[in-house]
Amino acid sequence: MLSLLLCAALLQEADTLKASVVSTHKDAPVLRPLEEVHLGGRKAAPVLLSDVLRRFTGVQIKDYGGAGGLKTVNVRSLGSEHVGVFLDGIQIDNAQNMQVDLGRYSTQGLEGVALWSGAKALRLQSAKEYAGGAAVHLLTAAPQSDSLLLRLRGGSFGTLNPSLQWDKRLGPRIAMRLGAEYLGSNGRYPYQYFDTTLVRENGDCRALRLEALLSGQTGRGEWRLRLHGYGSQRGFPGPVIRRASGFPLSAERQEDRDFFAQGFWTQDWTGRYSTALRFKLSSSYTHYDTHPEKNPMAMPYNIFYRLRSAYVSLSQSLEVAEKWYLDLSADLDGCTLGSDVGQFVSPRRGSVFAALSARYQSDRFRAGAHLTWMGAADSFDKHQAGLWTREDASRSAWMPSAGISWNAATWLEIDAFAKRSYRLPTFNDLYYSLMGNASLRPESAFQTGFDFRAHDESDALVWEVRVSPYYNCVSDKIVAIPTTSQFRWTMLNIGLADIVGLDVKGAFNRSWDGWNAGVTIRYTFQRALDHSSPGSLTYGNQIPYIPLHSGTADASLGYRGWTLVWEWSFTSERWSRSANTDDYRIAPWTVSDLVLTKEFGGRLQLGVRVSNIFGRSYQLVQGYPMPGRSIMASISYSPF
Amino acid sequence: MKNQTLTVLCCALLCAACSKDYDPVPVPSKDSSLEGPKQDMTWLGKGPRKLFVLNEGGMGSNNASLDFLRFSDGAYVTGAFRKMNPGIAGGLGDVGNDIAVRGDELWIVVNNSGIVEVVSAEDETEIAAVQVPTPRSIAFDDKYAYVTSWAGAFASGSYDDKGNYTIVDSSNPKGRVYRIGLGSKKVEGSVEVGYQPEGIACSGGKLYVANSGGISSQLPPAYSYDNTVSIIDAATFTLSRSVEVAVNLKSVWADGKGAVYVTSMGNFWDVPTGLYMFPEQDPSKVGRVGSDAVKPEALHVSCSCIHDGTVYCLGTGNEYEWSVSHKYYVWSFTPEDTATGKGRCTFYPQEFSGTPYGICVLDGGADTRTLLVGDAGDYFNPGTVSCYPLDFNAGEKSWTVSAGVCPGHFAIW
Repeated sequence: MLSLLLCAALLQEADTLKASVVSTHKDAPVLRPLEEVHLGGRKAAPVLLSDVLRRFTGVQIKDYGGAGGLKTVNVRSLGSEHVGVFLDGIQIDNAQNMQVDLGRYSTQGLEGVALWSGAKALRLQSAKEYAGGAAVHLLTAAPQSDSLLLRLRGGSFGTLNPSLQWDKRLGPRIAMRLGAEYLGSNGRYPYQYFDTTLVRENGDCRALRLEALLSGQTGRGEWRLRLHGYGSQRGFPGPVIRRASGFPLSAERQEDRDFFAQGFWTQDWTGRYSTALRFKLSSSYTHYDTHPEKNPMAMPYNIFYRLRSAYVSLSQSLEVAEKWYLDLSADLDGCTLGSDVGQFVSPRRGSVFAALSARYQSDRFRAGAHLTWMGAADSFDKHQAGLWTREDASRSAWMPSAGISWNAATWLEIDAFAKRSYRLPTFNDLYYSLMGNASLRPESAFQTGFDFRAHDESDALVWEVRVSPYYNCVSDKIVAIPTTSQFRWTMLNIGLADIVGLDVKGAFNRSWDGWNAGVTIRYTFQRALDHSSPGSLTYGNQIPYIPLHSGTADASLGYRGWTLVWEWSFTSERWSRSANTDDYRIAPWTVSDLVLTKEFGGRLQLGVRVSNIFGRSYQLVQGYPMPGRSIMASISYSPF
Repeated sequence: MKNQTLTVLCCALLCAACSKDYDPVPVPSKDSSLEGPKQDMTWLGKGPRKLFVLNEGGMGSNNASLDFLRFSDGAYVTGAFRKMNPGIAGGLGDVGNDIAVRGDELWIVVNNSGIVEVVSAEDETEIAAVQVPTPRSIAFDDKYAYVTSWAGAFASGSYDDKGNYTIVDSSNPKGRVYRIGLGSKKVEGSVEVGYQPEGIACSGGKLYVANSGGISSQLPPAYSYDNTVSIIDAATFTLSRSVEVAVNLKSVWADGKGAVYVTSMGNFWDVPTGLYMFPEQDPSKVGRVGSDAVKPEALHVSCSCIHDGTVYCLGTGNEYEWSVSHKYYVWSFTPEDTATGKGRCTFYPQEFSGTPYGICVLDGGADTRTLLVGDAGDYFNPGTVSCYPLDFNAGEKSWTVSAGVCPGHFAIW
C-alpha cells in the first residue's frame, strides 16, 4: 500500500502538468516533492535513470561517461553521500562509500521517480528516510493484470539493451512479475583531446539484471517481495591525461555481482492504527583488477570487496485525534565489509535508527515535527600495522526536522521546512588502508527552504510555476588530508560549505484539436561556498563541481501518437577545485537531445533518441569526456 | 515555432549566465616576457640564473606544472611549461616527481605520464620526451641520465629496436633503473634494483638507489617495505651490491666527499623517520645520523635536501599522530668524520606548520643562506613556496608566493 500511495501522490502531478488537487488526506506526505516524473509503466520509451534525474532542478549528476561510467546524484550541493536512493521505500545503500551508481538501475518497471529535499514525512515511512538528507524515490507499481512487455534499445557505441517484463496474476490476491534486462556497450566513443580526436578505450560494459516480484493483498493491507540480481563486467577508461604513446591510459577492469531480497508488508489494523514492516538482505561483490600485464603504468591491484547487509524496519502510525497523527519507526541495520586488500580490518557496523513524528493534516494545512536518533557501533579487526589501537567505535546523533505546507489559495501552495541530518562516515573514510581515521564524527547537513507553487488548470492551458529558495550548510565535512607524508593520508571533520540556492521551474502545456504542446523550463542558482579554513587561498570560493547557474528546457509537441521532444541542458562554468582559477576551470556547456516516438494503438511503440545532436564536447567530471552525438533506437512491444 | 522561441530564450539565458571564453595564449619568443609577483633576490649575487620548481599535481588530474623564480628580476612565474609549449596538448602531464638541471637542460620526471621531459633551461621549450614506465627520480653522470622506475612494481618489460615497449613479466614486482643517453635522449638499457626505487644519487662511478617497497607493503604475500640501497656500477651498468639501511627509503644524497645519505620514511606506525649515512668506501658501515649531543631518535625527516656538503631536513616530533596539525623544525647535519658517521647537528629557530612538501637551500654566500619550503596545502588546491632566512645576515628575506599543486621539487640553474 505504501508504494501505491506514493504512486497515487505521484500520479497526481504526473508529468508535472496534469496536477490538479494536492491530496489532503492522511496519506499525503507533509511536503510536496521537489520534482517527480511519471514514467508511465509500459508505454514510455526506455530512458536511463540518470537521464531522468539530470533534468530535475537542484540536481547535479556526476557522470564519468559511457554506459559503464559511474553516475551519482548530488542534490542542492549536499554531496552524494547525503542523498538516499530508495526503491519502494527501502534504501539502496552502500556502507563502503555511500554512493549509489545510478547506471546500475534502469527505468524498466518503474512507475515514477520523485525527489525530496527535507522533511518529506509520509505516513509509515522508515526511520532511515527521516534520517537522510535528500531522497530520490524509485517507485514501482504492483503488477495488476497479465501482460508481457518486450523492449529493445540499441544504437551508437555498440549498445544493445533488450529487456522483458512479464506480469501474471496468480490468484485473486496475488500477482508476480519477472523482469530481465541486458545492457551491452563497447564504450568506444570519439572525444576531443585539444585539437585531435581520440577514441575512448576500455570503456566497455556488459550487465545483466534479473528481477522477480511477488505482490499481494491482505484484508486491509498489502505486501511485496522482490528478488534482484545484478552482474556486470566493465572497463574503467581512466582519466584523460598525458601519457607516453606506448602506454595505454588504463586496462583496469571491474566485475560486480549484486544480489538483494527485500520486501514490505503494510497493514491497516483498526482504521486508526497501521503498521509497515520492511526488510532487506543484500550481498554485493566487487572485483577490481588493474591488469599490470597490459599496462605497465598501472598500480598492481587485483582485489575484491564483499559487502553484506541485513536490514529490518517497523513503522507504526496512530491517528490520535481527528487530523492528528503520531508515527514511530525503528530500523535495525547490520553490515560487514570483507576484502583481500592487505592489512584490511574487515569492519562491521550495527546501526539503529528511530524516528518519532507528529503530524497535523487537514485539507488546507499540513504540518509535521519529527525527531530521529541514529546510533551506530563499528567493530573491526585490529590493524596489523597497529595504526588503530581501538577495535571499536560508536557514533550517535539526534536529527530534528519540521515542515509545513499551506494551500494559501486554490492556485497557490506554500511549503517550508528545516532539517538537520547526519551521515555516518563510510567504511572507506574510516578504515581505508593507510588513509582512514577511525575517530571521525558523522558529517552534518542542515537544510532549510521554502517552496512557492502557483498553478492553474483549464481545458486549454495547464501551467505551473515554482520558486524554491533554500539555504544549506554542510559542516564537519569529512575531507581527506595528507599527514607527515604523502603516502599516509587521513580523514578529518574539517570541511564547511554554505549553500544558498534558488530553484525555479515553469511548466506550460496546451492542447487543441488533437495537438499537444508543452514547455518546461528549469533553472537552478547555487552559490556553494567553501568556508573550511579562514585565511586560506580557497576560503569563500565555489566548491568543486557546483555551477553557479544551471538549467534545462524541454519542449514537446504531440499529435496522433507522435511525440517530438527537445531537451536542452546548460551548466555554467565550474571548477574542479576550490581554487577557482583558470587552471581548474571546467568550461560551460550546453547539450541538446531530440526524441521522437510514435505509438501504434498502445501495443507497439517506436522511438529514436539523438543525444548531443550538435556533437558538443563537454565534461561533467574533469578528465572524463562525455560522448558526442549518438543515436539510440528503441522498440517496445506488448503482445498482451 | 515554439522550439525556436525557446532556443532564443535559452541562448539569451546562457549568454547572460556563463559565456566567457579565453583567447589562446600567444607563444612568447623567450620566457622573459613571462611575469609574476616579484621578490628581492639581489642578495643572491650573479651566479645562478633561475630556480625551477616542479609542482607534482594530483594523480589522474594531469596538472603537473613547472614554475621558476628568475633571479635577475625576482619574478616568480607559474605554469611556465604550458606557456612555453602551447603545442603540447597535455601540458607537462600527470604527477611530476623529480627535476634536475644538467648543463643547460632541465630534466623533468613525469611519473604517471611515463615521460622524462627534457627542456631548455633557458626558455623551457621541449627538447625531447623520453618514454620510461612510471619514472620516479633522476641523477646524472658524464654520459647518462639514470632514472629510477617502478615499472617492476607493476610489470617489467623491454624496448625493442624501434623503441616499442613490450611487457615481459607482470609478476616480478622489482623496480629498475633506466639509463638515458645524454646526447641521444634514448633509453639505452636498464638494470633491476629493489622494490619501488625512489631516490638516486651518482658519485664516484657508483649509483646509489633507495628502495622503498611502498607498493610491496600493500601487497601479498609479505606486505613489507623494502629496506635496501642498491648500488650499481655505472661503468658496467650492473648491480654490484645491496645494503640494508632502514625500512621505506626515500631520498639519497651524495656529498661528493665520500659520504652517502639516505632518508627513511619509517612505517608510519612504530618505526620513525630518520637520516642514515654510509661512506662510499665501505657501504656496510651504515649508521643513523646523530651526534654526541643529539640522539638519532630526536632527528626526524619529512623532507630533505643537500647543499654544500650539509644535509638539511624538516621534521616533526609527533609523526604517528594523524589528527593534529604538525609543527615542523629545521635541522642540518655536517659530517666531521665520514668513517664513524659522527658530525655536527644544527637546529634552526624557524618553525613551520602546514604541510611542507619539499625544501631547497639558496645561498648567496656571506651568511645569507635561506630555506625555500614548498607547502602542499591540502594537496588538492595550489600550494605555496616560501622563503625563510636561515642565517642572521639573510635578514628580512621572507616571502610567500602561490605555486601549483604540491610544489615539492627544486633545481637551480
